[in-house]
Amino acid sequence: MSLQDFDRRWIFLAMGVIVVGLYAFGPAAEMKVNQYAQSYFDTIEALQPGDIVLLSADFDPASAAEIEPMYIATIHHLMSKDVRIINVATWPAAPPFTRTQFSVIPDVYGKVYGKDWVELGFKPGDDVAMGNIGQSLRSTYPADARGNPIDSLEIMNDVGDAMRGIKLLVTLSAGYPGILEWIAQVGGRYEVPIVTGTTAVQTPDLFAFYPNQVKGFLGAATGATQYLQLVDEKLATVVGGKSELTAPKQENQKRMLVQFWGHMLIIALILIGNLIYFFGTRQGARA
Amino acid sequence: MSLLALQDAAASAPPFFTYTPNAPDVLGGWLICFFTLAVFSFLYKDNPFYKLAEHVFVGVGTAWFTMEYYNEGIRKPLVEYVDAAREQAVRIAALGPNASPEAVRELQTKLGGYPIDPSWAIGIRAGAIVLSIFLLVRLFKNDSWMPRWPLAIMVGVYAALKMTGEVQSKLVLQVAETMKSPFTSPVDGTPLAWDVQVGNVVFLVGLVCALTYFLFTFQRNKVVHGMARVGVITLMITFGSMFGFTVLGRIALLIERVSSLSDYSGPEYGLFGAGAALSPPYVAGAVIVATLVALSLAKPSRAD
Repeated sequence: MSLQDFDRRWIFLAMGVIVVGLYAFGPAAEMKVNQYAQSYFDTIEALQPGDIVLLSADFDPASAAEIEPMYIATIHHLMSKDVRIINVATWPAAPPFTRTQFSVIPDVYGKVYGKDWVELGFKPGDDVAMGNIGQSLRSTYPADARGNPIDSLEIMNDVGDAMRGIKLLVTLSAGYPGILEWIAQVGGRYEVPIVTGTTAVQTPDLFAFYPNQVKGFLGAATGATQYLQLVDEKLATVVGGKSELTAPKQENQKRMLVQFWGHMLIIALILIGNLIYFFGTRQGARA
Repeated sequence: MSLLALQDAAASAPPFFTYTPNAPDVLGGWLICFFTLAVFSFLYKDNPFYKLAEHVFVGVGTAWFTMEYYNEGIRKPLVEYVDAAREQAVRIAALGPNASPEAVRELQTKLGGYPIDPSWAIGIRAGAIVLSIFLLVRLFKNDSWMPRWPLAIMVGVYAALKMTGEVQSKLVLQVAETMKSPFTSPVDGTPLAWDVQVGNVVFLVGLVCALTYFLFTFQRNKVVHGMARVGVITLMITFGSMFGFTVLGRIALLIERVSSLSDYSGPEYGLFGAGAALSPPYVAGAVIVATLVALSLAKPSRAD
């Protein structure tokens, strides 16, 4: 049997052993924070108490592993600063995640529904829905996700059409529709600053938009871990000791080590595969 | 495992089933572990466990998406909207012919943020329904003219929407960004750090060379050919970087699944109070592996 006939299931097994072994026994290590995650943190940090943020959940279960930690940390960060949140979703599978987190986190900070935060729910229509949200949040959402008329919510008294009253747009984006559509439909038209957290697949697209059209971004699980570190450090200083995010931060830090070695395995396999191909071609040419 | 540890586990055992979001339950733990391992079993080979997980996934996904799109795409914007508009129309009619314009305006229905007469609002929604039905005609007659009208409207609206926002954000502003000095700050004109300057020059060279690669309108001399070659290398590095990020994402998903299996491997999820040894990942994994082995032994391979 030649190496070109190598059963690929051995590769799956090797990856499994590395991931399970390191996850079970590997340590959690502090990460260096990059400028993109720092900018995301700083942009939110610059908000004042009472400011309103439009938080868009544009992800689903398939991307939750990367996005959900960012989402949780962002809600904690915003609420700890007494920033008010209007939560929307452009992905149909996002509401279960938003409902789950908003059923827990606001109570930690004593926030009141309708006054400090509101959940408007999923809106179909992709780019069109985003354009409509930018044009008029009220007409796009005549009622919130719980069926309350939009004008009965206290937080909406400070929000007008064309994104008036919205100080920042935060989108946790897993693909289409997501950050690129928010930039095109809302960011440029209404001059609302945008920060985002994205999956690894979407991250390379964002470098071209930073720092002018996107003020900061969290790239994949790596960015999420860095942001968790920053927010946890801040919250731990306030409450003294551990914060609500200490456990998720340590969990993510542990995952980063596993991810690093998983990535190294892939790199090694690519090199080996190319060497096999190279020598195989040379032998073929000689024959 | 000690008796004390087992007693502690039993005391903190989650409920068998709960509707409360974010609260773990035993049934959920077993389902999560079974379906996760059933999907992973495909890495060995296609098998009934994977097929079951695949079908359940598609079924649950379809049900969820149908519910969300019905709720947000039909019930609210059509059923509830038309119902509310009809009520407003009745109220306006009750005001009588001498009603003040202000009173009528108060009762008007909103469409795209603008107040209009409720009967018009209902009429426009009815038009949308007719166009939607036109789209479905394609199911019965391929070459019908009817689906072309709603398609034309959708393409037109979408093109207009994309044209303005996309051109601004992805062309005009991107070109403007590329035209800044690579050596000085665009804010105050002070020199940038040396590493930023080097990065900017690499970016600029890469950009020009990558664009040169796509020049097909005239014969290439040595200079253009060399630049195109650098452009190809730039593009390959870009694709490599994108591939790297994709791998990063996929490994993150795998780790999350392993983490989830680990979460449900505690003694509180164990069968018959037997502790972690009979917790969902181990039992589900053992059942799947044993069945696959049995199936493999029962069906001799083609080579045999």
